[in-house]
Amino acid sequence: MTNDILRILLLALQFGFLALLVGLLWNFSRTLRSDLGAASAAEATTREGIGRLIVVESPAGEPPEGRTLAIGPITSLGRNVNATVYVEDDFVSAQQALLTFRGHAWYLEDQGSTNGTWVNGHRIERPVALSFGDEISLGKVRLRLER
Amino acid sequence: MGGSLRWTEFRLLLPVLLLVPLGFVLAHIGQVGLAETGPLAIPLAYLGLVLAAHLLLRGLGQRGDPFLLPIVAAMGGIGLIILGRLPQDLAGLDALGLGMAPTQLLWFGLGLVVMVGVAVGLRDDGFLRHYKYSWGLFGAVLLVATLIIGSEVNGARLWIFVGPIGFQPSELIKIVLAIFLAGYLAETRAVLSQATVKIGPLKVPPLPYLLPMLVIFGFVMAVVVVSRDLGTALLFFGVFLTMLFVATGRRSYVLFGFLLFFGGSVLAYFLFAHVRVRVDAWLNPWADPADGGYQIIQALYAFARGGVFGEGLGQGIPLINGHTPVPAMHNDFIFAAVGEDLGFIGASAVLALAALLVFRGLRVAIGAGDDFRALLAVGLTASLGLQILIITAGNLKLIPLTGVTFPFLSYGGSSLLASFAIVGVLLAISHRSSSTP
Repeated sequence: MTNDILRILLLALQFGFLALLVGLLWNFSRTLRSDLGAASAAEATTREGIGRLIVVESPAGEPPEGRTLAIGPITSLGRNVNATVYVEDDFVSAQQALLTFRGHAWYLEDQGSTNGTWVNGHRIERPVALSFGDEISLGKVRLRLER
Repeated sequence: MGGSLRWTEFRLLLPVLLLVPLGFVLAHIGQVGLAETGPLAIPLAYLGLVLAAHLLLRGLGQRGDPFLLPIVAAMGGIGLIILGRLPQDLAGLDALGLGMAPTQLLWFGLGLVVMVGVAVGLRDDGFLRHYKYSWGLFGAVLLVATLIIGSEVNGARLWIFVGPIGFQPSELIKIVLAIFLAGYLAETRAVLSQATVKIGPLKVPPLPYLLPMLVIFGFVMAVVVVSRDLGTALLFFGVFLTMLFVATGRRSYVLFGFLLFFGGSVLAYFLFAHVRVRVDAWLNPWADPADGGYQIIQALYAFARGGVFGEGLGQGIPLINGHTPVPAMHNDFIFAAVGEDLGFIGASAVLALAALLVFRGLRVAIGAGDDFRALLAVGLTASLGLQILIITAGNLKLIPLTGVTFPFLSYGGSSLLASFAIVGVLLAISHRSSSTP
């Protein structure tokens, strides 16, 4: 008699265990859904362009450090005030470099500058493909390409 | 932000912390048939470790993905329950003379330490991305070392013993391979995704960019095949293809890879006797039910006995002369043990947890700010997901059985540590992307 009660109780507990296991997944999926909703809302507000430049270092303060620069598919960099990204630095040429978005990727090309344009610490000799996270240096100014 | 994340993680963790101790008690009652709780040291230690990891992560200001810890805590907990109800000397007694479950708990705790350490310590990943060739070389050296000084277990040479402590280098190489490929592909992605050279009808990217990767990769595959560790070879190949596809978005690579794999498999079937044994046992285990097909037949019986709801924790897996029907029930066939005790529902739940883990890993990759981190997250996630796919499919006789572990469930220190390290990296990557301005 007590044995039977024990067996029934155990059976109930075992179904309870499985129910808890499924409930745990339910808990996960519910939180997942609300997280996805929040993520796509955030995506819509932040991911408009094809990329942006973060100013990592800029001793002269133009562009200011920490600033995020929106960039278009053809972006010129230099000390010329008409450049898309105007850089104030004595070691930067008027028409320093050109940043272009072609097909799938960003490319950087030096425009015959005096002191050179550098990507991740290497001076570029011809147009190079950039990946997001790469660091561009011109003069003392450092910019990071991000999505 | 930090506060709400912490609560999300805790809310997800709570049912896990209820489930696992309940499982331990049920498994004990199921085995002895008496209404008593049994020894509570292991479940209590488990509770303490998981809670400590949660508090430490959030206390140290880690703002990584809140799903990862609860998912792996659930998988690890279920693994511990199953290992605790199997005969404790199944894996042979280790140096400390502890049973299987206490040893696994020890590794589980160490794994959590590694996870928290990587998640918090990997603030700057420059040393990962800049020294990609060094990492590639390190992986290659480790492989060759295994081949030369490794010890053979079950026909595959995959252990290195340093004194009494043995580890499986392939678990470490898996991570190193993902680091190398992520570093290389992040740099050459743009070139690789635009076809320039034509060989016959095929458009191929410029060889100078493809070659270094193919050389290192071919080398890795060659060594793995020579060491006869085919499950790992399949895993590495899958990770490689996944990362290549994600980096370039070109289906032709995947197609080409599958053809290569198919050709290689046919070749391996005719070249290696032990491959032939595995494939024949898969095609028709009944041809040799006592030897070649024995494990797979017993695993299928286990799934059949489990049915939809399972035999109940602690009540399945009959012992034959004190042994489990499948000798490797604690590592390669732990999924069959889950299927027998918890049935179709329990096994599906475990797979759902695995799917969630992969989903969150890919979510981390999407949110990552730059290519290297995104590719690293994809590669590491793929390595976990594919490993689970390979071993479950092997257990269910969907593909020939190849011996890899079930991450977080299987018995074994190397596998647990590597899996937790991977989750640590995913946490670190998602932390960085949540903190960029």
